Amino acid sequence: MTGTAASRVAVHSQRTDLVVAAVAVAAIGAWLWAFLATDRVGVLATLLAVAAVAFVLAQRLAPRYRRALTARPRAATSLVVLAVCAVAVALRDQPYPLLMLCTVLLFVVACVGLDIQIGHCGIVNFAGAAFFGTGAYTAAVLAARGVPHIAVIAAGGVVAALVGSLLILPVLRTRGYYAALVTIAFGILFSTFLEVNDALGGPQGLKLHGIDLFGWKFNRDVTLGGTTASFYVNYFVLSLALAVAAFVFARRVERSWLGLAFDAVRLDEIAAATFGIGVARAKIVAFTLGNLLCGIAGAVYAMMQGFIAPNNFTFGESLILVSIVILGGIGNPLGILPAALIIVVVPQKLQFIQEYRFLLYGVLVVLILLFRPEGLLPRRIREYFPGSGA
Amino acid sequence: MQRYLSFACALVLACATFLAPGADAKETVKIVFIGPLTGGNAALGLGGRNSADLAVQLHNADAKAKYTFDLVKLDDQCKPDIGVQVATKAGADSSIIAGVTHYCSAVAIATVDTYHKFGLPVIVWGAVLPAITYGNDYPEIHRVNGTMINQNDVNAKLVTGLGYKTWVIIHDTTDYGKGHDEYFTKYLTQDGGKVLADFGVGADQQDFTAILTKVKELNPDVVYFGGLTPIGVRVRSQMDKLGIKSQFEGTSGIVSDSYIQALGPLAEGTIAFIDGAPIEKLPGGKFFLEQYAAHKYAEPPEAYGAYAFVAANLIMDTIEKVGPNRKAVIAELAKTKDYPSIVGPVTFDAHGQNIVPIVTAYVVQDGKWVVWHDSDYAKGKRKLAGGK
Repeated sequence: MTGTAASRVAVHSQRTDLVVAAVAVAAIGAWLWAFLATDRVGVLATLLAVAAVAFVLAQRLAPRYRRALTARPRAATSLVVLAVCAVAVALRDQPYPLLMLCTVLLFVVACVGLDIQIGHCGIVNFAGAAFFGTGAYTAAVLAARGVPHIAVIAAGGVVAALVGSLLILPVLRTRGYYAALVTIAFGILFSTFLEVNDALGGPQGLKLHGIDLFGWKFNRDVTLGGTTASFYVNYFVLSLALAVAAFVFARRVERSWLGLAFDAVRLDEIAAATFGIGVARAKIVAFTLGNLLCGIAGAVYAMMQGFIAPNNFTFGESLILVSIVILGGIGNPLGILPAALIIVVVPQKLQFIQEYRFLLYGVLVVLILLFRPEGLLPRRIREYFPGSGA
Repeated sequence: MQRYLSFACALVLACATFLAPGADAKETVKIVFIGPLTGGNAALGLGGRNSADLAVQLHNADAKAKYTFDLVKLDDQCKPDIGVQVATKAGADSSIIAGVTHYCSAVAIATVDTYHKFGLPVIVWGAVLPAITYGNDYPEIHRVNGTMINQNDVNAKLVTGLGYKTWVIIHDTTDYGKGHDEYFTKYLTQDGGKVLADFGVGADQQDFTAILTKVKELNPDVVYFGGLTPIGVRVRSQMDKLGIKSQFEGTSGIVSDSYIQALGPLAEGTIAFIDGAPIEKLPGGKFFLEQYAAHKYAEPPEAYGAYAFVAANLIMDTIEKVGPNRKAVIAELAKTKDYPSIVGPVTFDAHGQNIVPIVTAYVVQDGKWVVWHDSDYAKGKRKLAGGK
C-alpha cells in the first residue's frame, strides 16, 4: 500500500495530493489510537520517537504537499474528523482512553476560544480556567434546578461571556503586561471566591449528574448492532461536534472582516485606529467570543466529570490552557490539537514513574519549545484566497 | 523523498501491529494503589504507596501463595478531577481486580460513583470523611481506617480532662476540616469545654496573621486545628511568630513525620489523634516497621502507611480465597469479620466501614510522635502549655 501511495506521489496532481493527505491523516489516526490505548513504557517511548521523526519529515515535505490540505479545506477537515471518529470506534469499549480523548477535545474548544483572544486580537488572557470554571459551575447550579441540559450548556457559555464583560473595561484600558496582570488577578479572585462560597460547595466542590439530551442519557452504555460501547462514546460525539464547530467558527471569524480587524489591532493598535478600525469594538468581540467558547467547554466538562471543585480551576490550570495555545503555535487553531494531546495526556501516560512524572513532562515541553520556538505549528501569513498557497 | 515517506508509513504500520492488545503470559493478578504522589500531601501518599508495595512484596515472597500480585501505582494529585480520571483508568481495566485508594477526602468522595459504575472493589486507606462509606450504599466501597467521629470524642474527653477550659477552632473549609469542626464542637460542649471562636481557612491559604491576631486577643487555653499537615505547619509556626502561648492540638491530618520535620522544636507538645491502635505496640506492627526499614524505602511510612499495608493485605488474602474476580471479591469483603491485622482486628459494617474500636492519642516529644499514655507529659514529668 505504501509503495503505491509513494509512487503515485511522483505524479504530482491535485488528486494525488488528496491521497497524500489521506495517507497522512490515516497515519496520524493510527498513531493517536496507539498513543491513547497503550500503557506500556516501551511502546510509549517508541510512539513519541516516531512522532518526532514524522514531524521532522513532515516539515521537509510540507512546502510541496501543503497544497493538498489547504486547497480543499473541507475535504481536509472531513478527513481529520473521520480519522478521530475511527480512533473512537477502535477504542469504543475502553472508557479510560475515551475519557482522555474527550478531555483533550474539550480543552481544544476552550483553547480555540483563548486563541481568538490571544492569537488573533492580542488580548492576553491568564484567566482561561476561570471562564472554563464559570461554565462548569453554571452547569452545576442550573442542572441541579432541572434546567434542560441543552440550555445548560448554552448558559455555561453565556454566563462566562457575561462574567467576562466585567473585565472588559480594565482589559480595554491596559495593554501587554498590565492586561495580563488584570486577568491573573481575576483568575485568583475567582478560585478564592469559590473556596469561601459555601453555597457553591466551598473547597469540597459540587456533584453533577450526566448529560441528558432530549431523553438520551449520556451516562448509559451504548448498544448498537450487538456491540456495547462505553458511555463515554456519547460524550465523545458531543465533544467532537463542539470541537469541530469551534474550529469552523474560529476559521470563519479569522477569514471575515472581523478577523482582519483583529489582526490589525494585534499588530498595531494606533495604526488600526488610524485606518478607522474600532479597536475597542474588536477587542470586546474577541474577548467575549473567546470566553463563550471557554464557558461552553467548561459546562460539558463538568457534566462529563460528574464532580467539580475549585482546585480544578486555579491559576495553574489557566497556565495550562495558555501553554497549550503557546505550544501549539499562537494563532493557529490546528496546532492546538497536538499541543492539548501533549499537555493533557502525557502527564497521565507517565503515571508509571509516579512522583517524578512532572519533571520528565516539563523537560519534554522545554525540549519542544527549544526546537520549535514558535510552537508546533506556527500561524502562517494570512491567505487572502484559499488555496493560493501564499 | 519517496523513501522518507514509505519509511514513515512503514514505521507507523509496524507500530500499529506491534501494539495489538495481547495478554500477559505471566499468571499475575493486578491490584491498584491510588494516592497523592505529587503536591502538598505527597509525603503521606508516598508513605502509603511504599507500605502497599511492601505488603505486595512480602506476599509475593510467600511460596504458598496461589497468585503473584502486581501493584499498579497511580497519582491522584489530591485533585478530584484527576482522581476521577485515574479511578476510571483503574476501573475500566478489567485486569485490575481491586484497589487501595485515596488519602484525600475530597478525592475519595468524588470517586465513589466511578468505582460503583465500574464495579471495582476498593478499600480506602486514609480518607476520614464519614460520607465516603456512610453517604452511599455502594458495596464496592470499604475503609480500614476510622472516621472522624470517634476521634473527636476521645480528643474532647482527653483535653477537658487535663483541665483546659477555652478553645479556638481553626479548620480548613473542606469537608474534612468542616467535619472535624462539627464533631469536635459537639463533643467538647458535652464535656464542658467552651469554644470562643471558630475560623474556617482556605485549603491552600498561606498567611494566617489576621486570624491569629484575633486568637491572640481571645487568648484561649487551646488552639484546635482541623486540617492537613501543610496548613497545620503554617498555623503552628505563625502562632509562634505572634507569640501565642496556647496549647496546640490537631487531628489525624497532622500526625505525620513531615509535620515534625517542618517545625523542628516548635512541634514539641503538639497533641493529635489517629483512629486505630498504636502500630508499634501491636506484634504485627513491629514486624511491619522492621520490614519497612529492611526494604530501605526513601520515605517514612507516615501515619497512614499501616492502613495502606492492611488494605493491600486484606485485598490479597481475599483474592487468594475467592480468586481474581471482582464480584466474588466484593461478596467476600462484605463478610470480613475480625480479620487479624497490624492495626487491630478489621470488621466491616453494612457500609463497608471498619468498626474501629480504638483511638490513639499522640503527643510530640523530642521530635517524635509518642503515644500519649507513655509520654513524659502524661506522667507529669513535662508540662504542656499553660502548665497542664
